[in-house]
Amino acid sequence: MNAPDRFELFLLGDDEKKVEEKDETRVPNTAVFTFNKEDHTLGNLISQRLHSYEYITFSAYKIPHPLFAKFELRVTTDGSITPRDAVKKCCEDVVADLEVLSRSFTTEWLGKRIINEGEQDRLNRERDL
Amino acid sequence: MDPYDVEGGAINVRFLQADSTRANFLIQNFDLATANALRRVMLAEIPTLAIDVVEVFDNTSVLADEFICHRLGLIPLNAKNVDEALLYSRDCECDGYCENCSVTLTLNARCTSDGVMKVYARDLVVSGGRPNDEIGTPVIKDPEGLGSVIVKLNKGQSVHMKCIAKKGIAKEHAKWAPSAAIGFEYDPNNKLRHLDYWYEEDPKKEWPVDETNANIDGVPQEGEAFDYDAAPTRFFFDVETVGGMEPDTIVQQGIRVLQQKLANVIQELQGGEDIDMGGFGGQSPQMNGGGYGDPTAGSFSAYGGNASVWGGGATPYGATPYGQQPPSNW
Ligand SMILES: [Zn+2]
Repeated sequence: MNAPDRFELFLLGDDEKKVEEKDETRVPNTAVFTFNKEDHTLGNLISQRLHSYEYITFSAYKIPHPLFAKFELRVTTDGSITPRDAVKKCCEDVVADLEVLSRSFTTEWLGKRIINEGEQDRLNRERDL
Repeated sequence: MDPYDVEGGAINVRFLQADSTRANFLIQNFDLATANALRRVMLAEIPTLAIDVVEVFDNTSVLADEFICHRLGLIPLNAKNVDEALLYSRDCECDGYCENCSVTLTLNARCTSDGVMKVYARDLVVSGGRPNDEIGTPVIKDPEGLGSVIVKLNKGQSVHMKCIAKKGIAKEHAKWAPSAAIGFEYDPNNKLRHLDYWYEEDPKKEWPVDETNANIDGVPQEGEAFDYDAAPTRFFFDVETVGGMEPDTIVQQGIRVLQQKLANVIQELQGGEDIDMGGFGGQSPQMNGGGYGDPTAGSFSAYGGNASVWGGGATPYGATPYGQQPPSNW
């Protein structure tokens, strides 16, 4: 049995880092980030989200090989911000959006559950009459 | 103004259904990439509990040991608070398993009468010493209270097994999936033309739409001009639980896991050599104050004033993702 352990899809190896940055020297303001033990979830999220910033001139990701749990994100900016800071800012903004989402979800869920229970009580009362 | 979206552009949630098994809701003013990332995380990366190791003492049934072990693994177990209540076994100091990283269930059944006896999930007995009195209990939804069938025994046959349930995620094995299925769609009327329907005669007849969702999203007018810049902003989710977790917990955990993932990236990008929480010195005053609306660069105010999110005021940038646990590498 030489199948790789499934946890190798998400656990970093001993001296592996989550993100490695490599400057693309042939093009200005460009870097390629390698995300280890990550997949389309983050790849698509970050590369697409980056498109919404004015200072991003290019952003895309690829998974070089399907058997290796990593993706490469290539980012070019207009020079007003480093690719590294652009990615960081992007992640922070997503975290903030998710926080708003979480709060709204909590409030609405409670509201909906209360309405449901009220409805159920009413039905029970009507049945008992 | 859109009757379903009265919050003037802010991200918000509206529920269509909310009960103990389903959360059917829409997220408005959101973006596709984040919505899809959330969907993927809810499918594959939320920790739950499932039987992972089985010691077989006795098995004289017609099924092979590994066959039954596989079936045991797939039985949904209550995963209440598993995120904080249990460690991952691989991060635990014990060797193999212990009370800090597992819940033990015992299956001991013998057929002594004529005819076939079915062994059900309800016959799994949970040992004491678990972190709360719900975690590890098999999920049983049928009115008879039996749960799923594990094996059938004939007269004189028996099974006796010790099952070790561990914390894990569905990316490792689907038995750890918290949701049975997650419905996800946007633009039900295909106004954005992201879909080019294949059809025999008439796509309208051959591709049924979800009427509820389609009405909420606004039925397009005939001959309406196409907006080339339009992007989807409203996303329909239908999260159904397997039974081990409340549907709202699945969504909230999904959000947390995704935030944690991003937090790890942020930490790494700002030179995350220093894993001590004090290492963010410049930022620390922000951590518990600042409230939310100030997402300026370098500020982590998204976390401010909402300590509960990360448990006890710990920040996701600290060494210990959820405050109490030792680093778990991911
Ligand atoms: Zn242990």
